[in-house]
Amino acid sequence: MTAHTMRSPSRPLLLIAPAAVLIGVFLILPYLNIVVMSLREPATTTPYGSGFSTAGYAKFFADFYYVGALLQTLWIGLLSTLVCFVLGFPLAMQIVRATSRWRALLYGIVLSPLLVGIVVRSYGWTILLGNNGVINRALLDLGLMQTPLPLMYNSFGIVVALSHVFLPFMVLPIMGALQAIDPALEDAARSLGASPRRVFRRVVLPLALPGIQSGAILVFVLAVSAYVTPVLIGGMRIKTMAVIVVETLIDQFQWPLGSALALILSATATLAVVLFMRLTRIRWK
Amino acid sequence: MRASRALLGLFCLLICAYLLAPILVVVGASFNAGAFLTFPPRGLSLRWFAAFLNNQVFIDAIVHSLWLALAATAISGVIGVAAALYYARFAARGKEAVRVAILLPLLLPEVLTAMALLFFFYAIGVGTRLGLGMIVGHVLITLPFVFLNVVTALHGFDANWDLAARSLGANPWTSFRRITLPLIKPGVINGCLFAFIISFDTFGISYLLKDVGGATLPLQLFDYLRFNFTPEAAAVSTMSIGMALIVVVATEKLVGLKIERF
Repeated sequence: MTAHTMRSPSRPLLLIAPAAVLIGVFLILPYLNIVVMSLREPATTTPYGSGFSTAGYAKFFADFYYVGALLQTLWIGLLSTLVCFVLGFPLAMQIVRATSRWRALLYGIVLSPLLVGIVVRSYGWTILLGNNGVINRALLDLGLMQTPLPLMYNSFGIVVALSHVFLPFMVLPIMGALQAIDPALEDAARSLGASPRRVFRRVVLPLALPGIQSGAILVFVLAVSAYVTPVLIGGMRIKTMAVIVVETLIDQFQWPLGSALALILSATATLAVVLFMRLTRIRWK
Repeated sequence: MRASRALLGLFCLLICAYLLAPILVVVGASFNAGAFLTFPPRGLSLRWFAAFLNNQVFIDAIVHSLWLALAATAISGVIGVAAALYYARFAARGKEAVRVAILLPLLLPEVLTAMALLFFFYAIGVGTRLGLGMIVGHVLITLPFVFLNVVTALHGFDANWDLAARSLGANPWTSFRRITLPLIKPGVINGCLFAFIISFDTFGISYLLKDVGGATLPLQLFDYLRFNFTPEAAAVSTMSIGMALIVVVATEKLVGLKIERF
């Protein structure tokens, strides 16, 4: 290596070049290409034709099957986000307040699902929720039920499993926000006469809000676009948009329609996220 | 006050049970002696582990998954360390843009990324051949983990050490190899560990981009689960959980585990 190359100001750029090429060529360009693909002509022998048309979008609005699936998907996403929040917030508080030994244990338990593949986790839920599964078997054996409860092949089962799969994504950001709160603030509010409930509502919750927001957005986006869990838990009975998109791409081989459906799902999810951020800002400021 | 504390503790205990239940149930079911999935198991047996070890389809899938994860980790390790060095040391304007761009694969839905890559590789005439799209996809989704971990490690030590080495006559490569790399080693190892586990477990990317006969373990398991209900799948799952656990424990022993997922 010569002194010249050492001093060259362009050298640091070589460090970022591979990542830039990877992201630019293999991520941003292909994403833009989805938009082009969604406007391609449908074809029968190839995945897409050479001309352009808006047939994919027209098909979505013409068929209630797709509109219904979109609403169902958003509903499942919303419920999963709510469940994750209700379970995740107390858990995050407990972890932040626990003594160090308990904290490490709880933290490990929260992270444990992340180390297990999504297929395996969803499979675990089919063993638990199936008509012949652990829960139903126990209820039948104890004589509490005569017929098995319908826990699977419906949106209930999907929400239960999705909330499990994505709970860590709610807990971690909330923990981050809670850890950043100066304990002196709570003490100050208490010493000024606020009840513990009031301290929680007026001090802790507003300060944890950024964490709650990012957790909720992460979980919602992940839940709405989830594929494996809805297929394994929902079976053929209930189809979310992501499942329909993959079917359209792989089984029906209709790429323009699949792209249009995926873009409509992303656009609605983005809209929901923007709406959510607006709402939470108004409430707390 | 004390009662509400106890209630919170109890609630958290229940949540922990909810988090662990599906994983424990899979492990429990894999030791089942019966022909069908029942829990609690009817007698203990390793017969389903034997069945799966004799099932070439699963063995091939595991071998393929391991190679893929190794390759993806190696590539995103190199790219990620270089990008992290640039971000922590040189990036001035547009620093935030660099970070967001590299974290994009983590923020975008995996199914959408897989779909984008599928179209792209068909458009350039490669298709799913050679598993090229697959490896690019795996590198994309593992890169953020290497990047995040190495950036954290780089913030932890003084850049002047590097400058000192340079002023004593070391060229940039020597100074990186002898000073920077040893200091950020824990971050690199942690990042690569996560990259490996993420690649080994990922489904969406592999599902849309797999070459004919190039099924990974999660794909094979998913395929199997759609039509079969024997505990063989549980044995496969238990093995994959065990492998992840071994990797984690080994890393913990080597460098101490730190988790930087965001």
